[in-house]
Amino acid sequence: MTGIEGSFWRTVAVFRAASLAYAAILLVRAGGYANPAVGWLVIGVMALWTAATIFAYSVEEFRGRPLLAADMLVTLGCLLATPAVQGVHQESSLPITATWMGGAVLAWGVYGGRRLGALAAAIVSLADLWTRGAGGMEFEKLPINGTVLLFLAGVLVGHVARLAGKAEARMQEAVELEAAGRERERLARGIHDSVLQVLALVQRRGQEAGGEAAELGRLAGEQEAALRELVRLRPEAPPAGAVDLRVLLQGYGSGTVTVSVPATPLTLPAGTAGELAAAVGAALDNVARHCGAQAPAWVFAESDGGMVTVTVRDEGPGIPEGRLEEAAAAGRLGVAQSIRGRVEDLGGTVAVISAPGRGTEIEMSVPA
Amino acid sequence: MVVDDHPMWRDGVARDLAEAGYEVVATVGEGRQAIRVAAAARPELVVLDLQLPDLSGVEVARRLAASDPPPRVLVLSASGEQDDVLEAVKAGASGYLLKSASKEDFLEAVRRTAGGDAVFTPGLAGLVLGEYRRLASQPAPADGPRLTERETEVLRLVAKGLSYKQIAERLVLSHRTVQNHVQNTLNKLQLHNRVELVRYAIEQGLDDS
Repeated sequence: MTGIEGSFWRTVAVFRAASLAYAAILLVRAGGYANPAVGWLVIGVMALWTAATIFAYSVEEFRGRPLLAADMLVTLGCLLATPAVQGVHQESSLPITATWMGGAVLAWGVYGGRRLGALAAAIVSLADLWTRGAGGMEFEKLPINGTVLLFLAGVLVGHVARLAGKAEARMQEAVELEAAGRERERLARGIHDSVLQVLALVQRRGQEAGGEAAELGRLAGEQEAALRELVRLRPEAPPAGAVDLRVLLQGYGSGTVTVSVPATPLTLPAGTAGELAAAVGAALDNVARHCGAQAPAWVFAESDGGMVTVTVRDEGPGIPEGRLEEAAAAGRLGVAQSIRGRVEDLGGTVAVISAPGRGTEIEMSVPA
Repeated sequence: MVVDDHPMWRDGVARDLAEAGYEVVATVGEGRQAIRVAAAARPELVVLDLQLPDLSGVEVARRLAASDPPPRVLVLSASGEQDDVLEAVKAGASGYLLKSASKEDFLEAVRRTAGGDAVFTPGLAGLVLGEYRRLASQPAPADGPRLTERETEVLRLVAKGLSYKQIAERLVLSHRTVQNHVQNTLNKLQLHNRVELVRYAIEQGLDDS
């Protein structure tokens, strides 16, 4: 039996054993009450049941509703034997089981939380009050101290057991996360020291060799960039709901696309960052379509005066002046227009700088 | 001198340099060893990987910059870790190239670094510009380095991937002027970094030890 639940069950076991001793002492001190033979019989049953439950609750397969029900029945049986042992009930005396009857309440609470704990307290209290009523006591004079204590014990222990269980689960999660983080770090170091170096080398030698080797080199370069992004360590996680735009943009980096970013995070709300990165992606697709898949492109992200600006530049043929307006007037929405729509929806602005033969720059700014 | 913990890389880079007519005085795989060997071999230029097993590449760059005379340092990094690259450049490295750069780009960067020019890739320009803006956004001290409008303009164009020649054409400047602007931005940052280090040392009472 391990974990925090195990300690709760051990505590309940100690409570039962101590209460059993207390009940026996009370019986001796009272001179056996009215009927000592029945009294010692009940104490014997309690002792056997105490031993049985200490064992049964310590085994996880036995813990369950049948055991809880049996526990309650035995406890009620012993409690209801009280009038037979004590004769006419004294106002302030404890029943024959004394505090032992709390064991079942605690067990229900530990197993099922505060609701089950309260239910068990109600059942045991009712039985206790009934034995007193049967002893001829008037309703108004019934002592309710025991009832209140049983409720408190059942609800509190149930609640605390649940809380402790949850805390333990959280702790376990945190430990696993940390272990996963460490493992990732170790992998990242390993990959960095070996695979990335080799991939970069293949890329470089491939380019020099030319021909098919150059294609291999290009592929190695793309894998190097992707893998490097995958194992990059991110010590500062951005606050919840926010994203570091740099991380999204660096995913576009490849042999042909150069991504330049500052060393400090570009933190944006997750939605804004996602839309902006998608706009950058659309711009890069456009470059590949109009200038060829091997055409170089640059992505540059900066933050200044509360604005985050991302520029996508290519060295393609450029867009002739008036061409965008023509397209818009003809009812055709070019890629530049759809990018503009996206960014303006974010409260940002788009500037397109282009001239024939001098490439195109699309500059997207959004408020940070 | 070539400093890299990966033997294949180290030898490959050394071979490229030798083929291009450079004399490779040493190849080293660890940071501390690099400092010791540099003191003895007196290289003019160090090609430095930032990921080393013992010392960080940033620390190696800092200690190399403190030696007399300091060698020029070209950072060659596969890591793409912006923080480290920026720190190494602030510590005195005068160029930064990704390991995936082609042999031609690499040799060109070596030639320019050896000639005393800063090697500004778009990635480095983005980092340096970001650092100036970070400094500018901090409330105190107000004596931090600032970029002129022209310098900002030039850095942004470098970050967008324009060559110095293209920038010179677009801004109607000479190639040399563009080069000077870029060099200035780096010098100011490195100077500021040294001033900060000295200030820190004085505050910590390390000046008289």
